[in-house]
Amino acid sequence: MSATAKSIVIIGGGASGVLLAAHLLRSDDPDLRVTLIERQGQFGQGLAYSARLRHHRVNVPARGMSAFADDPEHFWRWLQRREPGKHTSGFVFVPRRMYGAYLEDVLREAGERQPGRLLVMSEEVLSLNESRTGVETILGNGTSLASRWAALAVGHETQPARSRGIAVRSGSERDTPLDPDAPVMILGSGLSMVDAWVSLAEARHRGPITVVSRNGLLPTGHKDLKPIQIDAADVPFGTSLTYLTRWFRALVAETEAQGGDWRSVVDGLRPYNQRLWQSWPMREKRQFLRHLRPWWNVHRHRLPPDLHDGLVRAVHKGQVSLIAAEFVGIERVGDAVRATLRPRGTRRHETMDIARVYDCGGVSVDIRASGNPLLQHLVRTGAARADAMHIGLDIDQNCALVASDGAVSERVRAVGPLTRGRFFEIEAVPDIRLQCQQLANSILSTVTGSPAQR
Amino acid sequence: MLTKKGKYGLKALAALSRVPQGQLVGIAELAQANAIPKKFLDAILAELRNAGFVRSRKGKLGGYCLARTPDEIMIGHVVRVLDGPLAPIPCASRTRYQPCDDCDVQTCQVRHLMLDVRNAIAEVLDKTSLLQMAALGGTEALQETLSA
Repeated sequence: MSATAKSIVIIGGGASGVLLAAHLLRSDDPDLRVTLIERQGQFGQGLAYSARLRHHRVNVPARGMSAFADDPEHFWRWLQRREPGKHTSGFVFVPRRMYGAYLEDVLREAGERQPGRLLVMSEEVLSLNESRTGVETILGNGTSLASRWAALAVGHETQPARSRGIAVRSGSERDTPLDPDAPVMILGSGLSMVDAWVSLAEARHRGPITVVSRNGLLPTGHKDLKPIQIDAADVPFGTSLTYLTRWFRALVAETEAQGGDWRSVVDGLRPYNQRLWQSWPMREKRQFLRHLRPWWNVHRHRLPPDLHDGLVRAVHKGQVSLIAAEFVGIERVGDAVRATLRPRGTRRHETMDIARVYDCGGVSVDIRASGNPLLQHLVRTGAARADAMHIGLDIDQNCALVASDGAVSERVRAVGPLTRGRFFEIEAVPDIRLQCQQLANSILSTVTGSPAQR
Repeated sequence: MLTKKGKYGLKALAALSRVPQGQLVGIAELAQANAIPKKFLDAILAELRNAGFVRSRKGKLGGYCLARTPDEIMIGHVVRVLDGPLAPIPCASRTRYQPCDDCDVQTCQVRHLMLDVRNAIAEVLDKTSLLQMAALGGTEALQETLSA
């Protein structure tokens, strides 16, 4: 076999791309070739772990952040080498850029195992052409790469802020310094909202902050607890959401009656979240996204406890106010902006004048509206399509891309948050590393005849 | 173990899966055709409705039908709803376990084995849809008829 017969191009050098490369390079095959392409030129620093967010921290305790599911202490050991004696337990929430640095080290070590097998490139990918013999990856510099496999790891993507550019993404170029006493508004109730609040707090913002979301919820905080033990045989897969919710609440009540905590139930269920999602027909999936997701998110995606306490204090002090309302629109009024809201359960419109609106409506979900040229090309040519729920890319059970005519790609795979239509719970490192491990093993067993070695 | 309730429920679902889509089956008819006590079937179908597997309409022309296509209904999912978390003995469940009088939960080897057994049961039942189960019965019934 020639070298290119064992080659894979990974598009996207954020957490998902780095984790996939690292799992592939565990193989001992000297002919394996992995090319990792990232347009920003910084590896391991995708949207989640970029150095741009100086003060922001990972929302998962360090003990859960290893790059390798079968070596759960890997990150913890790295952290102790990096900051000797600083941390006494794995229940610590490190700065995100530190996690980005860890991923860079993971990638470097993976490349050094056998020099010459990993190539990293800082380029934009414009398109992919799949043929019977391989995949051609067209780069922004006019050249192209030939490989046997390609993997899309383009991850989270922020869309331009809503309302014709009047709203601003926190931390973007347009997020210029503000008058510290000016009133501002944040749209969204998830972890991105908290990121925007952290940025404002770090800039010693004193003005009132109004947080607007459909339900007016706040993310909950972590506690240092063990998950309860749940077996697959215990979980009511495939039932209606009312049935599942009743089961879940009863289990929480039972756990709390024994001195436990709801968090242990949420975390105990975690290994089954993908199976639960997959066990539902379309109707239940749609209902979940529409009605249950906001509540699920605030309990499942939690904050470091001190950050949560700080946010709750800011709410109690009155600097942060939470409003349950639908965001209708904004317009410019002189130097300020005027936001129109429809408070929950009413039909009346209310307006509010603020200096700036931060759009923290979360990460992009509809790939048909993607700003990524590669995704645009794949959708336009019919090589890829949105999943049935329109929350990511359509893929089969082996993460192979599904074309607009339903044909399953032989050579192109997808990993990470883009695959959430099939897996739903595929946003965080503990799930993505497992996906990368399985995908690497399936690719390697085809390419080299044996799965990755440790 | 599969109780009478679980078995009756599966039989009723299998019967409903053979009815053309959009058509309702009256509860008396369903009970009689499958030799299930009507009152018991009432209770079973109410639970299956709460869990989202069947739909009902009241009144003279009312009755039950599947709320999903038979390939979307997994046997394991139905059995959990009717019989609980697939426990071969009452103590062999993590979330709904009932302790036995005679042994210690942590050290009882029988319980540990039965926990494995029920996960194996789940493996099989969660991969089998109502459609597949109906096909099983179909071939068996067919073979019986042929050999008779």
